Amino acid sequence: MVISTALSARIREAGLAYLLLLPSLAFLAAFTYWPILRSIWFSFHDVVLGDSKIIWLGLENYQRLLEDRLFWKAFGNTAFYTVITIPLAITCALLLAVALDSKLRGMAIYRSAFFYPVMIPSVAAGMVWVFLYSASYGPINKGLSLIGIPDTAWLYDSKWALPAIMVMSVWKYSGYFMLILLAALKLVPSDLYEAARLDGISAWNRLIHITLPLISPTLYFVIIIGLLHSYQIFDYVYVMTHGGPADATNVLTFYIYQNGFQYQDVGYASTLANVLLLFVGGLIAVIATVFGRRVHYLGR
Amino acid sequence: MTTLHGQTDAKTLPFTQEARQPFRLAALKRGWLHVVMVPLALLWLSPLVWILVTSLKTRTEVFDPAAGFLPQVLQWANYPGALSVAPFGIYLVNSVLVTGGILIAQLVTITLAAYAFARQTFPGKNLLFTLFLLQIMFPIYATFLTNFVTVRELGLLNSLPAMIVPFVASGYGTFMLRQSFRQVPTELADAARLDGCGHLGILWHVYLPLVKPTLIAFGIITVVTHWNDYMWPLLVNNSENVRTLPIGLGLLAKSDSGADWTRLMAATVVVVSPLLLLFVIFQRRFVDSFMHAGLK
Repeated sequence: MVISTALSARIREAGLAYLLLLPSLAFLAAFTYWPILRSIWFSFHDVVLGDSKIIWLGLENYQRLLEDRLFWKAFGNTAFYTVITIPLAITCALLLAVALDSKLRGMAIYRSAFFYPVMIPSVAAGMVWVFLYSASYGPINKGLSLIGIPDTAWLYDSKWALPAIMVMSVWKYSGYFMLILLAALKLVPSDLYEAARLDGISAWNRLIHITLPLISPTLYFVIIIGLLHSYQIFDYVYVMTHGGPADATNVLTFYIYQNGFQYQDVGYASTLANVLLLFVGGLIAVIATVFGRRVHYLGR
Repeated sequence: MTTLHGQTDAKTLPFTQEARQPFRLAALKRGWLHVVMVPLALLWLSPLVWILVTSLKTRTEVFDPAAGFLPQVLQWANYPGALSVAPFGIYLVNSVLVTGGILIAQLVTITLAAYAFARQTFPGKNLLFTLFLLQIMFPIYATFLTNFVTVRELGLLNSLPAMIVPFVASGYGTFMLRQSFRQVPTELADAARLDGCGHLGILWHVYLPLVKPTLIAFGIITVVTHWNDYMWPLLVNNSENVRTLPIGLGLLAKSDSGADWTRLMAATVVVVSPLLLLFVIFQRRFVDSFMHAGLK
């Protein structure tokens, strides 16, 4: 009797828990996991946007992908953007955070100055930078002409268009990473620095050997956040270059959009989407194995 | 990332902020730091300055290399001019409805789910929690194509709900709130239970008031994210009366093929100012929210 009431109480508790999870689970299933499963299913088919008929293709989409030079270009651009922009923005953020952490006067003003780009919609940021980068009347060209760099249409130059977007991304996200790193720096015990300083260890070595290991969990987290934010390059490409010139800024998200929405080829676009997920997932896995094990948790 | 903040809260650290100077630089050295930081900060601020200045220029001043940095006469007429090109009032209402809708829906779903994960035992808990956490790895940018197909099948294209539904569940929010719920002493809940409160009563009267800072932090991050959303609203709506502010701005940029930068920048000021003003007024709150978002 006692056992069965305990049991029914546990069942009731579990029932309530599932009920509480139901709203989240329903939406999670419909708009996160179902699309992923569906995308895998579509990648083996010929699917036309707006047409309910789908035709089995087997691995044809994947074969096509391997021979698609534009895919490789977009993949290369995505990898280039990700691998350069994230370390650059994080290094920038780390230096800013360290500078601000030394109780610099005017800290609040500096912090806002570096953080405000996060508040600006990507479309607005993209547009403004189109203006900043424009040839002849753009402020960047005006500034660079002072040091003798010739007028360049940065976003229309296939060599410079992608780096130009990367510079903008560093401006947009460094402040966010800086803020998170700043929070971590504030938790580093100062007696460690004191001891190191008394031992005559230089500021640079203190940064490398004390600060970095102690904030490594946050650094790790910031890298993941950076990786997820790098998806947003779609917005910038769409607004600033539309993939051009000559596909110099075509990245995977944009190429998926082109195939799915402009050419209505949902099957092939799904194949690309799967590759993108694998790429980002793979990067996260690499970071987790290389970095995750070395992360140093305070007191653990 | 989960343990750092919980273990060493700033308040419990055995030393004060004053005593703690990681790179104790002499006054002179700190002066040098300003020499580096002031130009950097100005560099970071310059796009904003250019938006403002350009929004008040004449078209000729923008393109004339001989014209100075500042406009001769402040062209306030650029603002009504920009706003009359498109129904920005409707866009504003739509932005408020979509962002507000997402915020309210998320607060409900994450509160319920976080309570279950923090305080209840049930079979499959770890597996389900992993599914929630993994969602963080699958942003809309990774799933937009097939989500579009789904939303279209549901007949939601060109409607406000289309812009809300993919974001109703939030693994990130659930995680943040679960961490906070777990720090609430169980004695409080036990006392409420003795007073006859059920689970939902305890959640409402005991837990929610105690985690207000987390709710506010999550709320701010959600509002900033979805107020600025571009890609998904761009894909799912194609009619005037459901457009949001960022979409309206993007269209303005496209239609003005002659690059009327003065109007475009005026419209940009209008679109970016609500959040920037809130940020200036509630700076501490915003900064704290984003600062600790990753650590809690």
